[in-house]
Amino acid sequence: MGLKRPRMSMRSRGLILVGAALLVISIYFPWWGMKLIAAMYPEGLDLLVYPYKLEGQLDTINILNHYIGMREIHEGDFPEFQYIPYAVWGIAIGFAAAALTGSKGLGYVMFGLLAIGGIFGIYDMYHWLHTFGTQLDPQAPIQIDPFVPPVVGENQLANFTTYTGFKRGFYFLILGTVTVALGLWGDRLWNEKSSSAGSS
Amino acid sequence: MKLGKWYVPVALGVILGLVAGSIVSYIRPTPTTEGEQAVSGAFVPPGKKDEYYMFASGGHSGQVYVIGVPSLRRIRTIPVFSRDSATGYGWDEESKKMLGGYTWGDLHHPALSETDGEYDGRFLYVNDNANNRAAMIDLKTFTTKQILGPIPNIMGPHSAAFVTPNTEYFMMATRFSVPMGGKYASLDKYSKEYHGALSAQKIDQKTGKMKVAWQLKLPPWNYDLSDAGKKISGDWAFFTTYNTEEATELLEINASANETDYLVAINWKKAEKAVKDKKYEVINGVKVVDPTKVEGIAYLIPLPKSPHGVDVSPDGRWIVGSGKLDPTVTVYDFKKFIKAIEAEDFSGTEKGLPIVNFESVKEATVKVGLGPLHTQFGPDGYAYTTLFVESAVAKWKLGEWNVLDKVTVHYSPGHSSAAEGDTVTPDGKYLVALNKLSKDRHLSVGPSHPENMQLIDISGDKMKVINEAPIDPEPHYAQMVKADKIKPIRKYEKDEKRPHSVWKKEDVRIEREGNHVTVHGLAVRTRFYPDKIEVNEGDKVTIYLTNIDLDQDITHGFAINLYDIDVEVQPGETKKIEFVADKPGVYPFYCSNFCSALHQEMQGYLLVKPQK
Ligand SMILES: [Cu+2]
Repeated sequence: MGLKRPRMSMRSRGLILVGAALLVISIYFPWWGMKLIAAMYPEGLDLLVYPYKLEGQLDTINILNHYIGMREIHEGDFPEFQYIPYAVWGIAIGFAAAALTGSKGLGYVMFGLLAIGGIFGIYDMYHWLHTFGTQLDPQAPIQIDPFVPPVVGENQLANFTTYTGFKRGFYFLILGTVTVALGLWGDRLWNEKSSSAGSS
Repeated sequence: MKLGKWYVPVALGVILGLVAGSIVSYIRPTPTTEGEQAVSGAFVPPGKKDEYYMFASGGHSGQVYVIGVPSLRRIRTIPVFSRDSATGYGWDEESKKMLGGYTWGDLHHPALSETDGEYDGRFLYVNDNANNRAAMIDLKTFTTKQILGPIPNIMGPHSAAFVTPNTEYFMMATRFSVPMGGKYASLDKYSKEYHGALSAQKIDQKTGKMKVAWQLKLPPWNYDLSDAGKKISGDWAFFTTYNTEEATELLEINASANETDYLVAINWKKAEKAVKDKKYEVINGVKVVDPTKVEGIAYLIPLPKSPHGVDVSPDGRWIVGSGKLDPTVTVYDFKKFIKAIEAEDFSGTEKGLPIVNFESVKEATVKVGLGPLHTQFGPDGYAYTTLFVESAVAKWKLGEWNVLDKVTVHYSPGHSSAAEGDTVTPDGKYLVALNKLSKDRHLSVGPSHPENMQLIDISGDKMKVINEAPIDPEPHYAQMVKADKIKPIRKYEKDEKRPHSVWKKEDVRIEREGNHVTVHGLAVRTRFYPDKIEVNEGDKVTIYLTNIDLDQDITHGFAINLYDIDVEVQPGETKKIEFVADKPGVYPFYCSNFCSALHQEMQGYLLVKPQK
């Protein structure tokens, strides 16, 4: 890489490596989920969104949703599942390369990509919730007003209370991001406190 | 003075009231007896579950009742030998084929599968006293998975419905001796040409399914009840007999003439070996061993007065026979029995079988009361014998041979069922008396009465009746198993490779081949795909219906008006329905099992075009 910048401390490089690993780990846990609870579903029905797949009682949820005319939810309808894991892997590898070479510039670039990805992700989530909640079949047996469930929060839908929110994978993602950020900008903090930080 | 007039009657009233109240409360101390104790001891509050499953035979209803203990709530009815429109059993092809054209059965003795003499919760085996059949219920689904028979050479297999200690065999024996092999012989040839038989069904350990393995040819007596040996007597089985008089008419008198009938002891391991050694003849396609020709298989032990039940103690040592016309149970010592047969301590032979010397094997006679029928066991050597005539249960102790307690039941108990009572380690705690008569115990429903189950707390020194419930005719025997041993599935798994199943509406199809129309359809809340089936009068119609609602308790029914068809399809299950469309016209079909808010809309049409 042609970026000539001050090289990173060992501590920073270590943190960025750990952060990259956390980003990769996050892929294999659900990032977001929805739990539907009703009187006859005391244990609730789960919909878990991984960056590459859906899990939970999807068949049952789809059957119930057809009453209100909601589109069926199928894994194949989400093109994101095809590339999100690669994008995360790519960014993680980028961070790892930055840590190994000590290139701060590469680290900043990767962090920029991660930030863009994150904003896109939140928007995408909202987009799908909006699509499923508002494009209801007008011929459905039960007519309800279009709705947009919150990305995080509680919503009442006929006899179901839905609880939506981030899941373990998302926390790994945040932890990974914070760890990488500490690696990239932490040196300044430590250098202000003590001048002996950073050895190589 | 004026005041004196009014307070006198008031004071008198108060005093009289107090006196009357105390007399009444003296006569009826407090209502804390049976009723309130029952509430504390047997009440299972809403949302809580019972401690035990009890599987009770339904007698001539042909069904098995699943009952929770201690609540005595009937949780489910499992149809076995009779059709049951509530579950669609007997209308789909699989159950129709199993029933084999019979419309009822007389289901007497349920036997839970065992491992090392303990109930293992896998399968339940039952017999059909009417049509010589045996059936297996898979306890994963609580459904009948096999009906075997009519099994040749046996007739009215009332006795020997038990499994061996590791579920090697389910055995059944003849109650009504007849000529073997379905032959004809007049009644005056009874003693020579009629025979009893014991049929041993080998069990496949994986599927639980039975196959007739071999049979024993036995004297022409009535084989009544039986029990498998346990532990030291594990290779043996014991049967009671009546009518060793070989009467063929008025058995009530003529079969009660002898002072003793016999307990028949069978070494089934030796019988198995005789089959291996090819010491059998083939009758009606079954390998039949004649124990008069192969030594060591069958012995007779005298047992007083038309015995009924025989029960083996948990340690396998004591064999308890109940003489129903004698107020005693006779207890034999298995160890003495082995010694006696080794020493050939016989008092004679009958029908070619050795009779073991009664005095040499009898351990005790326990005077339990009038009409003893069946014995169950608790831990620590306690035994509980039902007294039909006396309408009571007697508690007595093995080894001490004395009656410790008696409790009245309502009325006339047949069998009883103790918690894990037929295993090598009974639990104690609960005993259910299966009373044959209920008379005045419940709200009257006319001349046909329910039977009556009564739950007895056997945890203390004194037995206490703590719960009671009516039940349809008629539980004979029942087995009670700890609830956590049974692990049922909640729904069938989605198996896309299952033949004839369809899981997507795109795959639904109606195909015609000549005059045979085949439908591959599905049911899902709250539609049928297809919901229009057009055929011609006279067509044979086959419908495969899959319930793709993979959600607990979302059962769909499939009923066709006027076509006498009603089937149930459980979540994830595929059922096959077949009929000839012999009535032209329009016949709606609909979901007969309430499934969801739009259940009423779950319907379609069978259109049968008339022949020109
Ligand atoms: Cu339905």
